[in-house]
Amino acid sequence: MSRPAAIVFDQASIAYGRVPALEQVHGTVRRGEIVALVGPNGAGKSTLIKALLGLVPVASGSITVLGQAPAQARRLVAYVPQADTLDPDFPISVAQVVLMGRYRRIGWLRPPGRADRDAAAEALAAVGLAHRAADRFGTLSGGQRQRVLLARAIAAQPEALLLDEPFNGVDAVSQEALLDTIKTLAAGGAAVVVSTHDLGLAQLTCDGICLLNRHQFGFGPPADVLTPDLLRAAYGGAALELGDRGLIVARS
Amino acid sequence: MILLTSLGDGYVRRALLEVVIVGVLCGAVGVHVVLRRLSFLTTALTHATFPGVVIATLLGLGLVLGAGVFGVLLVAVVAALTGPRGAEHGRETTSVTAVVLSGGFALGMALMSTQEGFSRDLTAFLVGSVLTVQPSDLVVSAVTAAVVLGMLAALRKELHLAAFDPDALAAAGYPARRLDLVLLLALEATVVTSLPAVGTIMAVALIVGPAATARLWCSRTSTMTAVAIGVGVASGVIGLAVSEQWNVAAGGAIVLSVAAFFMTSLVLRSLPWGELAVAVVGRRKSAGRPTYSG
Amino acid sequence: MIDILVTPFDRPYMTRALVEALLLGALCGAVGVYVLLRRLAFLTDAVTHTVFPGVVVGFLVSGRSGIVPGALVCAVAAAALFTAIAATRRVNEDATLAVLLTAFFAVGVILISRQHSYTADLTAFLFGHVLTIDTTDIVVTAAVTVLAGLVLLGLGKELLLRAFDPEWARATGYRITALDLVSNMLIALVVVASVQAVGTVLVIAMLVVPAAAARLLSERLGVIVAVAVLVGMVGAWLGLATSYEASVGHDLRLAAGATIVLVLVAFYALVTLGQATRRLVRR
Ligand SMILES: Nc1ncnc2c1ncn2[C@@H]1O[C@H](COP(=O)(O)OP(=O)(O)OP(=O)(O)O)[C@@H](O)[C@H]1O
Ligand SMILES: [Mg+2]
Repeated sequence: MSRPAAIVFDQASIAYGRVPALEQVHGTVRRGEIVALVGPNGAGKSTLIKALLGLVPVASGSITVLGQAPAQARRLVAYVPQADTLDPDFPISVAQVVLMGRYRRIGWLRPPGRADRDAAAEALAAVGLAHRAADRFGTLSGGQRQRVLLARAIAAQPEALLLDEPFNGVDAVSQEALLDTIKTLAAGGAAVVVSTHDLGLAQLTCDGICLLNRHQFGFGPPADVLTPDLLRAAYGGAALELGDRGLIVARS
Repeated sequence: MILLTSLGDGYVRRALLEVVIVGVLCGAVGVHVVLRRLSFLTTALTHATFPGVVIATLLGLGLVLGAGVFGVLLVAVVAALTGPRGAEHGRETTSVTAVVLSGGFALGMALMSTQEGFSRDLTAFLVGSVLTVQPSDLVVSAVTAAVVLGMLAALRKELHLAAFDPDALAAAGYPARRLDLVLLLALEATVVTSLPAVGTIMAVALIVGPAATARLWCSRTSTMTAVAIGVGVASGVIGLAVSEQWNVAAGGAIVLSVAAFFMTSLVLRSLPWGELAVAVVGRRKSAGRPTYSG
Repeated sequence: MIDILVTPFDRPYMTRALVEALLLGALCGAVGVYVLLRRLAFLTDAVTHTVFPGVVVGFLVSGRSGIVPGALVCAVAAAALFTAIAATRRVNEDATLAVLLTAFFAVGVILISRQHSYTADLTAFLFGHVLTIDTTDIVVTAAVTVLAGLVLLGLGKELLLRAFDPEWARATGYRITALDLVSNMLIALVVVASVQAVGTVLVIAMLVVPAAAARLLSERLGVIVAVAVLVGMVGAWLGLATSYEASVGHDLRLAAGATIVLVLVAFYALVTLGQATRRLVRR
């Protein structure tokens, strides 16, 4: 009983101008699945996510998101960016930021309604920050901001959720809460793609792994991809091994 | 070329010397303005010196002195208002700069409107009149240029770090704010010095334009400075020649030469072989486009 | 005291000036908040300067009635050009703005330097003359105000999103360049509407100062907009009245446009001072 495919990579290569950044990505993310993008710095994780949004073009091969070209599927997709580039002085409340997730659903020229506010409030509660709704966004800590941005993505009720290292600077307890929220969303039928440096997390919580370093080293269930051989190949011979309980550890 | 034939005239020779000095000074200082994205602040400084000029005229003092003193005052106001924690209280640099800019200009205009009939002098100050440069102006320009260039050379590596990563500069124990202030004062001195040549409103072109042009071609500060100085001097001389040839405002002609250099570079760099030219010229340079933006 | 604020405006030309100034105060206050949020003060400054050659050419071609059309053509061209430059993202944007704004301005200076009445005309263009405003000018300003109101109400949430998080806006399928074109055109129209009254150089003050002062007073966007509009209108009124009182009552001629701006800046300074002292007292 395999679920319908949400994201399909078909021998996709992505380039910035003429410089290739990532080559030969091939695989499928199904609805309800959480797939982790892993690989060393500069591997092309952020690049792949931007390609899924149609922000960088596919040079050869193809990427299909929810049956459409990436740029066409944008309104069904939500995204949490890697870097915190937002203006901390911006006069905007936490609740307003989360409400932004609803804008595409509300449409042009119409103000947000009751249902939108409720959805936003619910999403904010899900990341455990309901009590900060009225505060200015810039007054939050880095990890709290990250959680608000995730709430915004959830409020959009997307069919595909793209997260670029969403757990950076998030404490362990909040991380668990965020993971639960993401899992709930996936259980509701959304496809989730999350890039991360935390191999243990990827191994334990994800249905699939895409191992990258400028090209694809593996795409499939964690047990098939997170093997010492593949990891060593992708990370350039660094001593990554499977520890006692099947968890990955780095040895020097 | 009329410029060559009229070189016998003292005023033309003085004008030529002035644009060369100002070109060198603006080119060198402009590099820091461009790297730190201070173009707007520079615009504000040029506009806001205006009341200084008006006051100096009212009191019968030297215009350059008036502009200089007022300019220092404005630098202090901007620095105090933005301050280390200004942004937290809603005073981020852009808005403070805009407020200071408009406040200064409005003050100048209000003062000016109280007087009758001295708009001639002031117009010269708004748009420049390099052909009436006096020997004393030349001396002021030369001294300012020497001091500012010496300071830029002496503080080269600190200013470099400050432009790239101000937090790292402060973390390394440098007096970061004082260093910023020094740079702003140098900028102010440059603005005031270039007033006779191109006037308050257009001075910013001579400071930002050559450096922005150089930025398109170079990825190192040393080469960038050299190219900026070259473009600055060339624009001044070409503008002067155009102005002599067709009898148009010299300040305007100089600014248009700067703009021509910049726009040509911009177009050339956007063409496919613009990349190639850079690769050939700057083979030993660090990789990557200088104008790279994520 | 009330007299000073009301009686001057019995005269028809002062009534017209007041209506124009109030309209501009409201218009600039509202649009200024967006300028502040996007940090577009420099772009606005650039548009005001690029309008200058249009004003000059319009005036040379058909006298005073040519100013607004000339300004309009230049402003729209400049807004489109700046949007295109921002969209390519190849260059240091503020340096490009600086070069372009002075280049446009230089064209104006060169054109006007071929005229005889060089200096007198130049100052009129730069500084504006709210006291000789006619009904057409007021109609133009009113039209722009209505249009700006519609745009800000209709596209408010999209513009806010674009200002706060352009990457998300793009990722969810909004066309940033289209939104930017709309807001830059709006700014250009505001500049054109204000040019007759306050001149090319002081438009920026009308746009930025009320919004900046309002930002000091509140962190809530709705409040900021309301306060900015209010400050813009009250400042315009007080400025006109002050200028009139100074010239009629005290024989001191103060340019009306400049006085309005000085009142606004004074208000900003007062707020800053008030907050600084309050912090000192609290410590
Ligand atoms: N805008 C860009 N223009 C040109 N090259 C780029 C651009 N962005 C990224 N690259 C290059 O593409 C490659 C992949 O970068 P990417 O940001 O996708 O890595 P990443 O896997 O997300 O790394 P990290 O773990 O550090 O976030 C890198 O070599 C990088 O230099
Ligand atoms: Mg990344």
